[in-house]
Amino acid sequence: MIAKIICYALNGLEGVPVEVETDVNKGVPSYDMVGLPDTAVKESKERVRSALKNSGLLFPMNRITINFAPADIKKEGASFDLAVAISLLKASEQLFGADVKDTVFLGELALNGDLRPIAGLLPILISAKGHGFSRFIIPAGNAQEARFLGGAEIYPAATLSEVVDHLLGSSLIEPLETAMFVPHAGTRTSADLKFVKGQPMARRALEIAVAGGHNMLMSGPPGTGKTMLARCLPTVMPDLTFEEALEITKIHSVAGVLGEEGIVTERPFRTPHHTATTVSMCGGGNKVVHPGEISLAHGGVLFLDELPEYKRSTLEALRQPLEDGKITVSRAGGTFTFPANFMLCASMNPCPCGNYGSSKRTCSCTPAEIRRYRKKISGPLLDRIDLQVEVDDIEYDDLTSDEEQESSEAVKARVEAARRIQRNRFEGSGILTNAEMGEKEIAEYCKLTREGDEILRSAFDRMHLSARARARIIKVARTIADLDYSEEIQPKHVFEAVSYRIFDKIG
Amino acid sequence: MAYSKDERAYLWLCACTRTDYRERVALLRTAPSPAALFEEAEEYFSAAGIPREKYSADRAAREAEAEGFLAFLEEREAFAVTLLSDEYPESLKAASLPPLVLYGKGRRELLTARKFCIVGSRITPPWAEKTGVAISREIAKRMTVVTGLAEGGDLAAIEGAVGSGNLICVLPCGLDECYPAAHISVKARVERAGLLLSELPFGETAKKYSFHARNRILAGLAEGVLVLSAAMRSGALITANCALDYGRDVFALPYNVGVMSGEGCNDLIKKGAYLATGAEDILSLYGMAPAEAVPADLNDSERQVLGILRESGEMHLAEIAKRAGLLIHEASAVLSALEIKGVAVKSGGNKYSVS
Repeated sequence: MIAKIICYALNGLEGVPVEVETDVNKGVPSYDMVGLPDTAVKESKERVRSALKNSGLLFPMNRITINFAPADIKKEGASFDLAVAISLLKASEQLFGADVKDTVFLGELALNGDLRPIAGLLPILISAKGHGFSRFIIPAGNAQEARFLGGAEIYPAATLSEVVDHLLGSSLIEPLETAMFVPHAGTRTSADLKFVKGQPMARRALEIAVAGGHNMLMSGPPGTGKTMLARCLPTVMPDLTFEEALEITKIHSVAGVLGEEGIVTERPFRTPHHTATTVSMCGGGNKVVHPGEISLAHGGVLFLDELPEYKRSTLEALRQPLEDGKITVSRAGGTFTFPANFMLCASMNPCPCGNYGSSKRTCSCTPAEIRRYRKKISGPLLDRIDLQVEVDDIEYDDLTSDEEQESSEAVKARVEAARRIQRNRFEGSGILTNAEMGEKEIAEYCKLTREGDEILRSAFDRMHLSARARARIIKVARTIADLDYSEEIQPKHVFEAVSYRIFDKIG
Repeated sequence: MAYSKDERAYLWLCACTRTDYRERVALLRTAPSPAALFEEAEEYFSAAGIPREKYSADRAAREAEAEGFLAFLEEREAFAVTLLSDEYPESLKAASLPPLVLYGKGRRELLTARKFCIVGSRITPPWAEKTGVAISREIAKRMTVVTGLAEGGDLAAIEGAVGSGNLICVLPCGLDECYPAAHISVKARVERAGLLLSELPFGETAKKYSFHARNRILAGLAEGVLVLSAAMRSGALITANCALDYGRDVFALPYNVGVMSGEGCNDLIKKGAYLATGAEDILSLYGMAPAEAVPADLNDSERQVLGILRESGEMHLAEIAKRAGLLIHEASAVLSALEIKGVAVKSGGNKYSVS
C-alpha cells in the first residue's frame, strides 16, 4: 500500500511542501530513500527504525521505498523524521482508519520515540497556512513558537506514541490555544538613557536617528559611553507590532536563535564582533542558506562597535542592504532573499590612539595615520550614514553631569509622535519612515524654502557633498522638522541636519 | 625659449654630468666662462681632478647631451632657469648655496614677482588652517605665495592662493615625482594654476635631506615667511631660521601656552618675530592694505553666537549653547550656519572657534 504524508522543507524563509510517499512491498527486506535527501535526512532511516521499535510499534520487514517529492529541491535536516515514521505506519496499515490527509507532520525523532523541536517552525507554519493547510502536528518543544499562529489546529506532541494514539483516536491531544502578542513580554534590558551622563549632542542625534529610521555613527575617545548610548537605541524605538514581530520571529526561527518566549517581543539589537566574516554578516551557507547578522537585526539595530576594525569587504557588503532593506544571497542551491531593514549604528575612535579632539589627552597620531584610519571606512558607506556625531570626552561629562537626565520613555514618546506624522504622510505607500523615502517622495514631501535651498547649495559647494549626501541631508531635515511638529522644513532644520555630517567637513 | 651658450653649458653641467654641487662650482670658478668650460671640458675637468667617467670627454657627445636634455624638458612642458638668467629670482642668490638651475612647470612669470612664503607643519590645528587659508587668499591678491606641498600648513597656503594663481610650490623632489604621493591631485592643481619649482633633476625622489635643502629655497625666494604652526622641532622652523639667516621678515601665528603644535611659533615671537593674526599684519609691513572683508549676512542668533566665540575663543558646543541661552541642537544649527558662511570653524571634540 502507498501512503502519502505532507511535511515541509525550508527554502530561505519560505516553507515548501514536501510529500513523503512510502510504498511497502513484498520482497527481500530493504529500506531505500529517494528524492534528493541529504545525509541528515537519510540518517532518519535509523532514527525512525529505533523510534518505532521503542514506541511499541512494528517496523515492517518488507521492501520499503520512500520518496520525497518534488525531487528537485534539496531536503535537509531532521524535520522529516515524523512524517517518514507516520507514512511507514500508514503504509504498513498500522494506522488503519486514521485520517492523515491534509495534516502536516513536523518533527525530529529521538531513538526512544520522543519528538525533538525543529528550527524554522514558525515560517513553515505561516507558509503552510498560506498553502491552505490548517492541521499540524508539531513537537511539544516548538509549542511556544506556534502559539501565535491563529486560525489553525495545532497539536503539540511529546512522543511518537502520543501522535499515534491521537491519530487512532484512543487519546486525543489538546490543540494549542492561540496566544495574544504582548510587546516586551520578555525581560527588559537594563539600558536606559537616564543612566547616560552628558552627551547632549549624541542623545539628540540618537533621537533623530530613531525617529526617522536613519543610520548613525558615533566618533569619540575610548570609554566615553558610545556603546552605552547604542544599547539605549532599542529602548526608544516604537513597540513592535504583531506583523513585525512575526516577520522577525520567522528569521530568528530559521537561524535557530529564538528565545524561550517563542516570539520576538523586543526589537533586536545585534552586535557582531569585528572579526565577523562577510558571510556571517550577510547570510550564506553551503546548502541551506542561513540569514546573517543584518537579517537578524531586521526591524532593530545593527551595532558595529569600532567600525574601522571590520574588514573592508564586510563593510562594503552592507551598502546594498542599507539601500534596499533586504539582502539577496545567491548560492549553487538557489537564490534567497532575506529581509534586512535595520538601523545601522556604528562607533569608532577619531584616530588610532583615540585622543584626537580630546580635551585632556594629546593625540599622538600623525595626520597620515589618522587619514589611513578614517580611510578604512569608504566614502560610499559614510555617505549612507546620515547622522555623524562626536561623543565628548568623559572629563567634560563630569563637569555637566549634575543635570537631571531624560529617560528613554520621554524620548520614546517624542519618537512615537514623529513616527505617527510619518505614518500619516506615507499612508498606503509601503514606506514607514523618512529614511525610506525615494526621489519621488522627497520631491513631494520635502519642499525646501528658497532660503533652505540656498543653505543647501552653499553647504553642497563648501563641503563637496555628493548627490546622495544632499538627499540624505534633506531626509534628516524632514525628520527634525517632524520632531518639531513643523509642516515646513525651516532653515534651522537644514542647518542642524548639515551639522551631523562631520566627516564631510574633515575629509 | 632660447638659451644662450653659457646657459646651455650650465644646463649640461648640471643635468648631464655626474658631478656634485661643489665640483660644479669649482669648475665654473676655474673656467673663464661656462661656454669655455663646455668647449674645453677635458682640460678643466681633469684640472679639477674629476674622473673621465663622470662626463663625456667628446665634444660632439656633449652637444648631443645638451640638445637631448633641452628636448626632454620641452617634451615635459617644463623649463629650466639658470643662475645666469635674468629671470632667476634675485633674492634667491642671497641664499646659501643658491641652486645653479631651477626647474619649473607652470606660470614662469611668477619667478620675478614679489613673493611671500607661508609654511606650517603637517600637524596644524583646524583654526590655524582656516586662518592660514584666509591669510594666504589675501596675500595672493598682492604677492605670490610660496610654499611646499605637504598637508597641514602648506595645504592651507595652497588652498588660499590657488584660486588666484599667484602660487609657487617648491618640491623636495624632481618635478615628475610627488611627495607626499597622496597629493598628486594637489600638485596637478598647482601646476595648472601656478608654478611648480624644484632644484632637483627629473626622477629624483624625496630624501630625508631634500626637505632641509628645499626649505632654504622657500626662505630664499620670499621677502618674508609666515609660520602657521611649528612644534619645537619642525621643518617650518627650519624655514623660519633660514629666513632669519637671509635677513627676511619672519611672522608667526600666536598659540595658547602648552599647545604642542604651536610651541615653535610662540618661540619665534619670543625671539622677535612679528606676531600675525591676519593678512593685514603682513601686508601693512610691505605698505599694502588688504582688500575689504566681505560682511556676512547674519541673523540675530548667529551674530550673538559669533560674539560669544569672538570673546572667548575656542569653546565647547555645550558651553556656547549655555551662554547663548539656546538648546544644544539649536546652537549646533546656528554654528553650522556660521560654518557654512565661513566665519566659524569646527575643531575636534565638538569645539568651535572663529576662523
